[in-house]
This record gives sequence, C-alpha cells and structure tokens, in this order.
Amino acid sequence: MKTLDTRGLLCPKPLIMLKEALQEMDAGDALRVETDNDTSLKNLLTYLKDQGIEPEVSSAGAVHTLLLTAPEKDLSASNPAAYCSSDLPRDYVVCIKREVMGDGDPELGKVLLETFVENLKLQEQLPSHVVLYNGGVKLAMKSSPLCSSLVELEELGTRIMLCGTCVDHYGIQLDIGVGMISNMVVLTETLASAGHVVTP
Amino acid sequence: MKEKFDLLSTIEYGGCSAKLPAGLLSEVLGKLPLVKDPRLLVDLETHDDAGVYKLNEETALIFTTDFFPPICSDAYEFGEISAANALSDIYAMGGTPLMALNLMMFSQERIPLDVFGQILEGGQAKVREAGALVAGGHTIDDHPPKYGLAVVGTVHPDHLITNAGARPNDVLLLTKAIGTGALVSGQKNGLCSEGDYRLALEQMKQLNRHASALAVKYHVRGMTDITGFALAGHAMKMAEASRVSFRIHSLQVPLLPGAYQVFEKGSIPGATFRNLEFTGEQAHFARSVDYNIKMLLHDAQTSGGLLLAVNPDHAASLLSDLNRLDPEISAMEIGEVIPESPRRLYFE
Repeated sequence: MKTLDTRGLLCPKPLIMLKEALQEMDAGDALRVETDNDTSLKNLLTYLKDQGIEPEVSSAGAVHTLLLTAPEKDLSASNPAAYCSSDLPRDYVVCIKREVMGDGDPELGKVLLETFVENLKLQEQLPSHVVLYNGGVKLAMKSSPLCSSLVELEELGTRIMLCGTCVDHYGIQLDIGVGMISNMVVLTETLASAGHVVTP
Repeated sequence: MKEKFDLLSTIEYGGCSAKLPAGLLSEVLGKLPLVKDPRLLVDLETHDDAGVYKLNEETALIFTTDFFPPICSDAYEFGEISAANALSDIYAMGGTPLMALNLMMFSQERIPLDVFGQILEGGQAKVREAGALVAGGHTIDDHPPKYGLAVVGTVHPDHLITNAGARPNDVLLLTKAIGTGALVSGQKNGLCSEGDYRLALEQMKQLNRHASALAVKYHVRGMTDITGFALAGHAMKMAEASRVSFRIHSLQVPLLPGAYQVFEKGSIPGATFRNLEFTGEQAHFARSVDYNIKMLLHDAQTSGGLLLAVNPDHAASLLSDLNRLDPEISAMEIGEVIPESPRRLYFE
C-alpha cells in the first residue's frame, strides 16, 4: 500500500500531495495518509467527503492516519466541459403543478404524489430541477409531508424552484421550507432548456 | 548591493486569510451589547463594511480600519495593497475617503528598517491616488509585521449604500475577478506562473474608486466589498442583511487566470475551508457546479472587488461605464436578487 507522509507539513501541502496521489492511482488501490495537523486533517476529510470518498480514520497521539480506496475516475470532476459531453444522459426536470397526482380522489392523489417524490431521490439519474407552480408550491411548505423529501433532493444537488407569483398568491412566503423562490422568466427558461420534462 | 528583503519569509499565511473565522467572530460579537443611537446609520448588526455616523442632514462620517500580515514579497507593493484594501471599505459604502492613519506592527530587530519605510511609501501613494491624506499613525514592535490603515471618509446620508439595500429583481455585478487567495497560495507552492501571480497583485492594488462612484451615480442601494470571507461569505452576509436571497451563475463569475489550475492541483488554502464552513447550508450548489469553482467561490480575497445589487434597468450602463473607466479589471454581471428563500445563496 502506498503511504503519504504529510507529517510536519501545513495546509495546503497535504492536499496537494493527496490530489497528486489520487490521480496516479487506479480505482480500488488503497492509500494511507498520515498527518499531525488537526486543520489539515479536517480539510483533507472535507475534500474527500466532497469527492464521495469515506476514509477510515485512526489516531495515535498527535498522528492521524487515513485509510482510503481510490474511486472510479470521474473525469467530469476535473473537466467542466465534460458536463456538456453528448453521451451523458440529458438532464430532466420534474414539473409539479398541483398538490395531487392524477385525477379522481384527491386523498389518493396526495398519497400518490408523496410516494412519487420519495421515489425520485432513489433514481439513478436525479432530476436537475423540480419546478413547483400554482397549487404545487404548497408542497414546499414546512408543514407539507413532502417537505423533507424535497430537502433531501436539494441536498443531493437538485435545484427546487418555486413560482414566486404563486407563493405570493397563496400568501405562504413565510411558511416555505425548501426551494428557491423564482419568477416566470427563470421557470420558463428552465423548462424550455430541459432535456425533457416529467409531469406527474 | 544588499539582497532585497522578502516579506513573505516572515509568515505562514497572509492577507485577509489571516482573519478570524467568521463564525467565531459572530459568536464573540454577538455577546457584546449592541450600541444603538440614531446618529449611527450603520452599526455592527448588519455586518457592514464600516461604521457610519450622521453629522448633519448633508454629511455622514464613514470610519473603518483593516490591517494584515504580508501578502506579497515586495514591501512597497504590500503597502499599496493594504491601503487599497482599507480604503475599499469607504468605497463599499458609496463614500469618499478623506484621511487615513497608518497602523503598523514591525520589529526592527528582525527586519531591515528601510522595509518599514517602503511599506509606508506604498500605502501613502495609494492613499494619495484615492485623493485622501495620510495624517500620521501608530507603530508597535511585533513580528511578523502587520500593516493597514484606519480611514475616515464622508457620504451624503441619502446616498449611503449598505449591505441591507439589495431588493428582489436587482442584478448582481462583481467588479473584480476572484482568485487572489488561490494565486498567492499557488505562488508559494510553485503551482502558478509568475505572470498570473503578477496579474493578481496588480488587481489587488486597484482602487474600487470608480466602481463606487458609478454605484452612487446609478442609485445602487446594496453593496459590499469582497475580502476575507470570499464572494460566497460576503454575498451571504449581504443577502441576510437585505432579507433576500441571491441566485449566482457560477460560470459567469470572473476568475483570475491560473486560479482554477491552482485549486485543481489541490493548493486550497485553509481559509477556503473555513469560509465553506461559514456559508454551510446557506449556500446551495446545483449539481452541475464544478468542485474547484465551488471552492474558488469560497476563496478569501485580499482587496477584492465590489458586489453591487443594481436596478436591472441600469445594470448594462453601469457595467459599460465601469469597463471604460477600469479597462484592466473584469467587471461582470453574475446573478440576480430573488425573494427571501430558505437558503441565502443558490449557485447555478
């Protein structure tokens, strides 16, 4: 196993060394990193977490040791242009315009919509945006049973967008628990530029 | 000829990245009794750039200070940058600087005395460029050295521009590129070109004078300058004070050449991580935002640009006026003000 000894080195040296090492490693290779600086340890962990890497951390005295496995190389992370590459699946936007899913019994409609949003976050490809308008904005209220699922989606990087006119119309601005309050210009732009739009 | 003294040899980190973490600062300041007085137009509460005291109906006094350890090797340049940074707080309120006092911490046992003089000369030249006067100062023995100024300026009370004046639908303009922290770190670790580093130094020396005058001309109500808490941290404080949220298009944020490459190589200063912690859940990043860009948005700036919230009808004129007056810096429209939402910042 390769070992990076960063003892005695101050931020950002350890991170520079870690990035170099990760670039040279193949997926699945193990790496051991040693540091004796608490700030460096914290910053290394923040960086790794943001890359989706969960190292094993152990400490002996002042020396901390991180054990980690190199992940699959994600070229898009180091090359912004790769995001635009045409062989990636096109982004999609979920557009919710009511508090219910489908016509018929509104109680059933509420349950269906709740289940739909819960399932959204389990999709292999997450929507780039969830657009809520008209009655749909009420789903983003703190009291809504869907609020926590929408927060989870937001944490995963999906942008939740609310129609500002609708939020004002229902007078619920102070009760909104998730999402960016937006206007029709931005919503139109988002829907028009989406790869495709899913409307439950 | 004697060898030129390298100021950077005295320190581990410099510039505004030497600031206390913002969260820690709020914790301490929050415990102090808040001074309220009708004559204080701007106080600590909105985390503004300076204190503002109303003298009469026509004039308010702006008072500010800033100082830090060396950000570059050359003493004269350090003086210039530190002065430009201190003066910036006056400009960020829409004011005109009048007078400054030097604040210096310097150990004559550790550093040649002519370095002391060169720092002051650089500072004085910058203050003169701003049309203000250096009227003295104070020095104490300390190492590593620190230099900055306390500055007073004035503003018409009706034209005062604060953190709290941004309104939904305003357009956000940033008047300087970001990445000074990255390039200083890159230069220290041999990860950027001399040319890119020079460009960062030149930008740090640039006064925010023209941008400030144009903000007044175009009736801008909300403005701040970007320094140690990074674009993201200062934008968050401004959105909070204005009780709005900001939507920022990260690909439109101007970057100093070479800054991205420095972060790509992992040379990310500790201040960046502290700022990231400070904005925390208040900042949301769309999945498409590149990791290094996200970190650059949290890169501590020294003598950074102004962030203006301007009426959309005036944004284009202001921007073109500014690019004519300051052609060497790259002002850009970077986003818009949106109604107060659960988070303060939304980065696309």
